[in-house]
Amino acid sequence: MSYLVLKDLEKRYSKNGPLIVNKMNLSIEKGEFIVFLGPSGCGKTTTIRMISGLEEVSGGDILIEGESILNKKPRDRGVSMIFQSYAVWPHMTVFDNIAYPLKLKKVPKDEIKKRVYAAAEAADITALLDRYPAQMSGGQRQRVAVARAIVVKPKIFLMDEPLSNLDAKLRVSMRTELKNIHNKEHSTTIFVTHDQSEAMSLADRIVVMNKGVIEQIGTPMEVYHDSATKFVASFIGTPPTNFFSVKLESLGNELFAVSKGFKYKINKEIEGPLKAYLNKEVDLGIRPEFIGVSLDGKKDDSYLCDATIEFVEPQGTHSILITHIEGEEVKIMTTEYMDIRPNTRVSLYVKDGKAMFFDKETTKRIK
Amino acid sequence: MDKLNIVQKTVVSIILATMVIIVVVPILFFLTVAFSNDVEMTQFPKRIFPSFSVTVKVAPAENGEYELFYDKGDGEGYRSIITTKNATKLENHFKRQYGVNISGEKLLEDFSATRENGPMEFTYRKDLLFNFKQFFAIVNNSSKALKNSIIVALYTILISLSIGSLAGYAMARYNFKFKETINVGMLIVRMFPVVGISIPMAVLLIKFGLFDTLIGLAILYSIPNIALTAWITSSIFIGINKELEEASYIFGGNGFNTFMRITLPLAFPALAASSMYAFLAAWNDTISALILTNENQTLALVVYKAIGTTSSGIQYAAAGSVILILPALVFTFIVRKYVNQMWGGVEL
Repeated sequence: MSYLVLKDLEKRYSKNGPLIVNKMNLSIEKGEFIVFLGPSGCGKTTTIRMISGLEEVSGGDILIEGESILNKKPRDRGVSMIFQSYAVWPHMTVFDNIAYPLKLKKVPKDEIKKRVYAAAEAADITALLDRYPAQMSGGQRQRVAVARAIVVKPKIFLMDEPLSNLDAKLRVSMRTELKNIHNKEHSTTIFVTHDQSEAMSLADRIVVMNKGVIEQIGTPMEVYHDSATKFVASFIGTPPTNFFSVKLESLGNELFAVSKGFKYKINKEIEGPLKAYLNKEVDLGIRPEFIGVSLDGKKDDSYLCDATIEFVEPQGTHSILITHIEGEEVKIMTTEYMDIRPNTRVSLYVKDGKAMFFDKETTKRIK
Repeated sequence: MDKLNIVQKTVVSIILATMVIIVVVPILFFLTVAFSNDVEMTQFPKRIFPSFSVTVKVAPAENGEYELFYDKGDGEGYRSIITTKNATKLENHFKRQYGVNISGEKLLEDFSATRENGPMEFTYRKDLLFNFKQFFAIVNNSSKALKNSIIVALYTILISLSIGSLAGYAMARYNFKFKETINVGMLIVRMFPVVGISIPMAVLLIKFGLFDTLIGLAILYSIPNIALTAWITSSIFIGINKELEEASYIFGGNGFNTFMRITLPLAFPALAASSMYAFLAAWNDTISALILTNENQTLALVVYKAIGTTSSGIQYAAAGSVILILPALVFTFIVRKYVNQMWGGVEL
């Protein structure tokens, strides 16, 4: 039995209105760190608000430890939440902020004190307990929110884009700390973000959402290297996956992806399911780092086409090369040190046969 | 403003100075009147600042009597006012005419020095509160009216804040049918001049048995203030991040303690400002009180009547006015801090 189960969960804001969350099914194990990732408006925040009880559920069920929580008030669900705005109460000291949930539960004073100090220690804010939120920085307020979430010992932590209001540097260090706290508390966590690097670095499993639908559930490596849909392939990864519209043609024993600009021989290993799409249009996706660049006109089986490099963006660890194939902008990431200047003519090839094909209609990966 | 040349600066200064004078001089004049004694009231030219003491010239007269001289400051110098040796008469004269509290025996004792030294000047300290005491002593019902005013103001604050803030909260947080219509509708209440609707209002209050009661008056004052409070508080409630309340719901709060412990404290500046408006509305009103009360008059009405009916002793009415102004002033200054907070600074 999974710890938290979402069963056909649905949400619409008005009767007959559009489905914000559409038949969502998800099982989460105890102690897992789950990240909901998706663009704004994809329903990820709505989903955790439904779990927290702040939002009504339009259809389906939510079960914690096998028990439906739909009829429970937010305060009885055993969840705690960290909000995007931190939601630290400005008229209370840090101590009172953290103690508030305990006071409402009528926990004895000595124990409140003990637990608040323990939580403050975990969030590293023991020195700030007497201060008011207005006297603190964004990062410190964030820690207060974390301490308040820890102190109630919840069954599930819900985090609604908690890092998005912090500056870039702090975001990265807070990220590590959140993971650290998670490791210490072994708490089941659902973390909502639109930032893929946050998702990749924190998650045990990522739930990629788009337009109220789960596109893929998988480990960071799975969603990156084994994207289930065209959306996942384009959303995850910077720069995003390059897409080409191609037609599958067979020539002799071999299968080719053919477009106006190139004719690419498909690797035998992934050929199987593609045969059903013979003579049909599909989308070919290649991640920027899997497009190889050759200056000496290498033309083996993995050859894609020739192209003129238009821009070079050096990033230190890698460089991004920009070119056009069939009028489509293509970004190439290379970690090799190459003396490529704009207007260099190069030949491009696909590394390790890492090409992904997607059905045009369902946008699902053909595999 | 910082780029003004000397001519512009001068013009601006003159305009500002004129405005200040227009405001300050009448207040100053009327304050002086409130502290003036009877003789000063008939003096001309008037004093700008109140005096704190009275100087009389005393000369010994026949039969052990003393002749008092007083200088009205009108250029005619000292003139004879009274000649007496009666202690009670002297005491009353000093009290009524000069606002000086001193016993007749003490005066006679002081004056006896003139028998040896000839005419002398005596200076006595004025009882600055004399007019105020007189106001309560001679104006009917005035102390009761002060009490009434305070009670009515408190009722008004209580009613308009409790109903108005809830309405403001609903306006800020919930969507319902005819929301905009209701919002504007509330303000319509403020459009009617009290005089225009006084007869139906009086009839209604009589039918409800609230005519000439403090609570009836408070309800009347509250009605326009509920609308105002709702508008002021709703703008603040909108500004309070919803997540602050949601956090409370998640961390164990129900609707009631979330409102009491989170929302209301955060909206405190708005409540302070609203309570100020409610207080001022109740405290300053005369016309409704005039129409709707009989026995239970408020202070503003009593002062108004005192000014209208006392031909002599306008200084007592002025003293009453000061009593009327002071609480309003004090209240406004206490609340001002929070009102400032509302419009600037404090991050919610």
